[in-house]
Amino acid sequence: MRGKLLTLLSLLITAGVYGQGFQVNLAGQQQIGMGHTGTGLAQDGAAIFFNPGAVAQLPDNYVQGGISPLFFKSAFQGTGSNVTYHNSNEVATPFSAYAIWGPKDAIWKAGIGVYTPFGGLVNWGNNWQGKYALESLDLKAIFFQPTLSVRLGKYISVGGGFVFSQGSVNLKRALPLANSAGDDGQAELKGHGHGYGWNAGIFLDTHTGLTAGVSYKSKATTTINGGDAIFTVPGAVQANFPQPNSFSASLPLPATTSVGLGYKINSQWLVAVDANFTNWSVFKSLSFDYANNTAVLQDTNSPRNYKNSYSLRGGVQYTPIFTEGSKKYNSKWAIRAGGGYASSAPADGYVTPEVPDANRIYFTGGLGYKITRNFNVDVSFEYEYLKPRTQTNIETQLSGTYKTEVYIPGISIAYHW
Amino acid sequence: MNKQYIKNIFLITAAAVAIGGCKPEINSPSGTTHGSADFSRYIAVGNSLTAGYADGGLYLEGQKNSYPSMIAAQMASVGGGTFTQPLFDQSQANGSGYLTLTGIDKTTGSPITANVTTNLAITGQTPIPGFGNVTTYAKYTGTDLNNYGVPGIKLLHITLAAYGNLNGFYERLLPGAEGTHNTTYLDFITSKPFTFFSNWLGNNDALGYATSGGAGDVLTDKTVFAQLYTALIAKMTAGGAKGVCATIPDVTSIPYFNTVTPAAILAGVQKANPAVQAIYINAKTAADASTTYAPRAAKSTDLIVLTFPTSLIGTPVATPAGNLPYGLTPYTPIDNKYVLDENEVAIAKDYVNSYNNTIKSVAASKGLAVADMYTFLNDVKAKGLLIDGVSLNSSYITGGLFSLDGVHLTPRGYAVVANQFIKAINAQYGSTIPSVNVSAYRGVKFPN
Repeated sequence: MRGKLLTLLSLLITAGVYGQGFQVNLAGQQQIGMGHTGTGLAQDGAAIFFNPGAVAQLPDNYVQGGISPLFFKSAFQGTGSNVTYHNSNEVATPFSAYAIWGPKDAIWKAGIGVYTPFGGLVNWGNNWQGKYALESLDLKAIFFQPTLSVRLGKYISVGGGFVFSQGSVNLKRALPLANSAGDDGQAELKGHGHGYGWNAGIFLDTHTGLTAGVSYKSKATTTINGGDAIFTVPGAVQANFPQPNSFSASLPLPATTSVGLGYKINSQWLVAVDANFTNWSVFKSLSFDYANNTAVLQDTNSPRNYKNSYSLRGGVQYTPIFTEGSKKYNSKWAIRAGGGYASSAPADGYVTPEVPDANRIYFTGGLGYKITRNFNVDVSFEYEYLKPRTQTNIETQLSGTYKTEVYIPGISIAYHW
Repeated sequence: MNKQYIKNIFLITAAAVAIGGCKPEINSPSGTTHGSADFSRYIAVGNSLTAGYADGGLYLEGQKNSYPSMIAAQMASVGGGTFTQPLFDQSQANGSGYLTLTGIDKTTGSPITANVTTNLAITGQTPIPGFGNVTTYAKYTGTDLNNYGVPGIKLLHITLAAYGNLNGFYERLLPGAEGTHNTTYLDFITSKPFTFFSNWLGNNDALGYATSGGAGDVLTDKTVFAQLYTALIAKMTAGGAKGVCATIPDVTSIPYFNTVTPAAILAGVQKANPAVQAIYINAKTAADASTTYAPRAAKSTDLIVLTFPTSLIGTPVATPAGNLPYGLTPYTPIDNKYVLDENEVAIAKDYVNSYNNTIKSVAASKGLAVADMYTFLNDVKAKGLLIDGVSLNSSYITGGLFSLDGVHLTPRGYAVVANQFIKAINAQYGSTIPSVNVSAYRGVKFPN
């Protein structure tokens, strides 16, 4: 059984690709079901992501993996226009996988997490109003996080992890250089890079049902060197866009601070709240530095001026109880629900079709099922609604209204012993 | 595989399909209204710009990308009717012939252009007594017509009964044989009822003078211009139609006059012969009606035409003082026809300003919308234009707005202009004609 699971996890990892509007909070199906809460809970292996401090409090060892196919539905209508453009139906697949082990009754547990905290997959096509700003973006960041967590006493445990970030980007935009058939040129930038960071957390268990946690995920600037800069332009102007060419760029993946509370009211009801603060203000600009410049092909520096964002989350889990004779048993099922609010990172004037971000509310639901004592399946569904946002981008003058909705079903399996 | 499993697969698939089908919808915030105007039959009146002329010719692609056809397409959502243009047939798609860019000179960076001479719609040359040969084109045989743009027409011509015999582009719209036409343009455009019009006449009343370096054509008299414009608008609005009038661009702002500059010519000469200090032109001595010209060194305020053959510079010219290099001495100045000198520039500007004052006041007297192309294109020249991630400006070829003739626009340029008309119409009549997607139209085509 474990052999099969590991095979399945490795498949998830290799098949896995990425997320939504840049920050992706899809790190555990139980936590998604409860509105993305988890900083103040010790639920399962996803504690590596939500709060490394809680890992040592887990009663079991874990191997688990999950995936959340993400349907990102965005629409754009130019100011004064009556034409609505939609991004194409491409499904991003954020995933997470965790393995945790420690000797029974030891004060420590060690683990590793692999997850996708940042990403973006949007494809507006080569035929829409904003094609010179963006045709498509496929941005992926996979974090590998070895983690160690230790119980310091009856009430408190701490944990931390080192993060290795593996990033890749593929960005396409049209160039306004028509060939003899009247078709546009195109710029494509693609490359891989990596970065480093760390995570840490503190977890408190009052043994009264109330638990609490604080966690911090550091900035992990991911730098791409020697990416391919491919320019498809008419032959007569090709000399202005030397080929082959390469670029370097770096993307600051910002630090996030989270605090959370959990309260186990009784054996049926568990409630949790989280608050998160993301230090997006580190994303001041997006620069591409080309190895071969010409008078036409200069390095670019696009202002982004993101602002710090926050989210507030809440969730609940209900485990039904049934009676058999005089005994009461917890059902094999768990039912979850939650929701939250997240504020937008790009300031007015800096919203781009790469990330048509806006303040959003979301609702989640989930189900958990214990197939055996050691084997759980969890599913979740999330709906996000982004407030329609009318913007004129300062850099491109692309002006119009964005409206976005996101649908995210998800499933995970966990083996614990 | 049990039934429950199949059912679950079915449900999951159905859910995935359902999610795939959901799309956020955006409703136009302002709704759709034609306001106080009626767009059910829109006609476009004007010259080459209105006809869709580009790259030094009238051809099918240009016709299809004319600004009136773009406006009409956008009017469709607020009650606009069909819009018919006198398109060339596919087999004669290259119409009058036009310029294409065939390459860029590797050493000088100068564009190399060539004429398209296949699939033309030219039917012949007809000698018109007292005028000369007139090139005729395949007749437009359709019965509907909404785009009345006639390349070359001046406001001065609209009441001229014989004009159909003098301009092949007008001739092809008229029934009957060359040499027998006697319908004035004004009568022709008003012969069928219409509810809305756009009018961009008047450019050629100044442009011909300018592009001929002030030598080959004359400016239309200001008073005559005012009389004709008043008569035109009176007749256009007589049936209650509403409309939009456009002002005349500053003819000196177009790439035709700002690409080959005295400084660039001098720099080219100095590469071969550093001793040369100036190039010489034959310039008007005062900005008045006098015809006194005198040679002098060219200044940056003198405008050289785009078509000036720079290879002429330095070639030997026979003079009483012996052979002297063309353009490099006061005895061998660059021909008048290649230069709109600073006094001629001042005169052209003065006339254009006068024409535009007439256009604005006549339009205002009838409550018509005004698309101020003069101000708009001067702003573009001064500051450039950024639309949906594309930088546009008034530079030749690279600017994206002007076609290879340096006077007329690219499809992208016409789309920009169409939006200026739409803006003016919406402002005047409270309509919500949606804007044209400028990104959907190309600039200059580059060879592969």
